[in-house]
Amino acid sequence: MTPQGGRPDPARPRREPAGADQGVERASAVRPFMVTEGRVAAEAGLPVETQVVATAEGLGQIGALAFERKAIVEACGTPLSLAEVAVKLRLHLNVVRVLAGDLRASRLLAVHVPRAGTASDIDVLRRVIDGLRSIPTTVGSRDAD
Amino acid sequence: MGSAPSPLPSAHGTPTSDLSAVRPPLPVKMVVAGGFGVGKTTAVAAVSEIEPLTTEASITEVAAGVDAVSLTPHKTTTTVAMDFGCLTLDPTLKLYLFGTPGQDRFGFMWDDVTEGALGALVVVDSRRLDDCFPAVDYFERKGMPFAVAVNTFDGSLTHPLDAVREALDVTEEVPVLAFDARDQGSVRDSLIVVLEHALARAVAAA
Repeated sequence: MTPQGGRPDPARPRREPAGADQGVERASAVRPFMVTEGRVAAEAGLPVETQVVATAEGLGQIGALAFERKAIVEACGTPLSLAEVAVKLRLHLNVVRVLAGDLRASRLLAVHVPRAGTASDIDVLRRVIDGLRSIPTTVGSRDAD
Repeated sequence: MGSAPSPLPSAHGTPTSDLSAVRPPLPVKMVVAGGFGVGKTTAVAAVSEIEPLTTEASITEVAAGVDAVSLTPHKTTTTVAMDFGCLTLDPTLKLYLFGTPGQDRFGFMWDDVTEGALGALVVVDSRRLDDCFPAVDYFERKGMPFAVAVNTFDGSLTHPLDAVREALDVTEEVPVLAFDARDQGSVRDSLIVVLEHALARAVAAA
């Protein structure tokens, strides 16, 4: 038996998915963007893996910050990706992007934007391959092709 | 050859502020894509050093529908769950794995997540092959290196890999392999296949 062949025309409407992949607790759709005063796109360019880390200045001024901004600086005592910050603080990724941009502008957060072209950087690819090869795997699955 | 080897860990991006003493690792990411329930999250979990996290990514309609004037999101507001995990490969290098829903209506979010990814693993259940068509189409269009990984749910393949390759009509250079999404070594090896494919391409282009 062969699987059904032939990819359909990409334009063909797909069946509706059952929501997102897994059920996820919904954050409020409105409040997060009130936090950003309605701004949604300012930092849209920041990749999800962008590393953010509190600056000494940021840590020093924690007392003067409030709510989400304070929470972000607090959470970023060690470097985190924007995606991790979003999960940790239960915020939309785009909200984190906007707030991270604000905090960067006020020098409270260092934002390390990944260098463009990393994905096709031969040295990076080799390092990742070597890194993966050297992770200890649990016993068992050598026969898996 | 080609790309100038950057002096070690400094391979990371342009710090827009140097005020921080803590140097973050170079973050790299890969995408694990595929239809609903094919084992994406399982695969991420198998290799991630943390429990896979689920975050909500909003898509275009949300951004367009919510503004300072009208704070009521439109009916079209869609929030999608995105699972991710990570692996610290060394103190200077951290690999993020993002599991993205396979439906093409999430096109925007895919761009959001796939931009700058090293490559993608498209997870396939050969009994529901058409679930992965949008993912395959997407990565082909995007020109992103990817491999097709047929999940052997019960340890055996329902369809031979050749048949899967033929049905998917992917070019010869695209690796099609069998893997077990629950098995750390198997997932790890599959990711390496994607990366070697990406490396071969990068070397050829250099």
